Amino acid sequence: MRAKLLCELVALGAALWSPPLVAHHSFAAEYDASKPVALKGTVSKVEWTNPHARFYVDVKDEKGAVTTWNLELASPNVLRRNGWTRTSLNVGDEVTVEGAMAKDGSKMANARVVKLADGRRVFAGSSGGDAPPPPAN
Amino acid sequence: MNRISLVALPLALAVGALVAVSAQQTPPAPTSPAGAGSQQRAPAAPTGPVKRLPNGHVDLSGVWQGGGPVGDIKMGLAKGETLPIKPEWQKIMDARQSKDDPEANCLPTGVPRRDPYPWRILQTDTHTFLLFEGNIHSYRQIFMDGRKHPSDLDPTWYGHSVGRWEGDTLVVDTVGFNDLFWFDFIGTPHTEQLHTVERYTRTNLGTLLIETTVDDPGAYTRPFKITFTARLRPGEELMEYICNENNGFVHHITGPAKEF
Repeated sequence: MRAKLLCELVALGAALWSPPLVAHHSFAAEYDASKPVALKGTVSKVEWTNPHARFYVDVKDEKGAVTTWNLELASPNVLRRNGWTRTSLNVGDEVTVEGAMAKDGSKMANARVVKLADGRRVFAGSSGGDAPPPPAN
Repeated sequence: MNRISLVALPLALAVGALVAVSAQQTPPAPTSPAGAGSQQRAPAAPTGPVKRLPNGHVDLSGVWQGGGPVGDIKMGLAKGETLPIKPEWQKIMDARQSKDDPEANCLPTGVPRRDPYPWRILQTDTHTFLLFEGNIHSYRQIFMDGRKHPSDLDPTWYGHSVGRWEGDTLVVDTVGFNDLFWFDFIGTPHTEQLHTVERYTRTNLGTLLIETTVDDPGAYTRPFKITFTARLRPGEELMEYICNENNGFVHHITGPAKEF
């Protein structure tokens, strides 16, 4: 129970404290922070590559139809500096992802928080959402 | 509750909780970026005195982050200043689309733009090098041997840079730019007439002030000055970052660049 509470606090902190802008492109040009999405499904592929790590999640609807979502993370370097490894997500893992949908309506999203197979909710090191740019002065 | 408290409370909660979580779990799996394993924000940049090289000049070396425009170059202008862009270039800027941002397409930032990744300054007797982890895992070389700019430069992404010391400030003069890079996400433009003078001053061990005079009579009615601050990332090392490895999703980027 205590661990669960702590995890919730972690998620709360992550949600309230946005990361620095870590993408090589404008977040707002690709994703819509006003269109949050929550996805629960099975990891079908992981790409631990630059400029963004990506993973794909197969999501079943109530009729059993499967849709594959393409989920963007930060770069592998940024993820590693934040405690991730290339085996943090594995094919077959059951995960829940909270993120922002792509503006063009495709089955893509920028992941902000991932509930991993072991139940922990971790910050996804995403490319930003409402993240402020680095300090100017 | 003041603004600092509003920021500090969730931060403290997250850090405190993560320390506790990490202590309970073996082996430590991925943590929140706010966690104990994070090097993204911790430790804070030191504030001690600067060091000097054997030749007496200030030691600028180290791994830094920031120091130039990312989203909007106007953030570096002095309060009340405006960007003296020519109307015809404002129109060109307004028409730019985010998907065409060279940086999004894994091309270099040019000068004075920075990306959100760490970079290193390396000083030798003859050169100063800026080594970039991010876009595009490249470097700038600054000649410190007193040479002048050649007269027949081919336009390039980082131009031709010569450096000199003015007291404890490294002054870097660069010409010979191409016109292919943007100054920021919003597509602030320039021409091949661009001439930059950057002034690097390490105001303390962890802080590098970079003032840049941007002189481009092609796109601007007068020179203008921007100031950004880079922060030292103690203990950090550059990591490989090959942007072109898997940049297959640029076509999902939509909309005008100015809407960043």
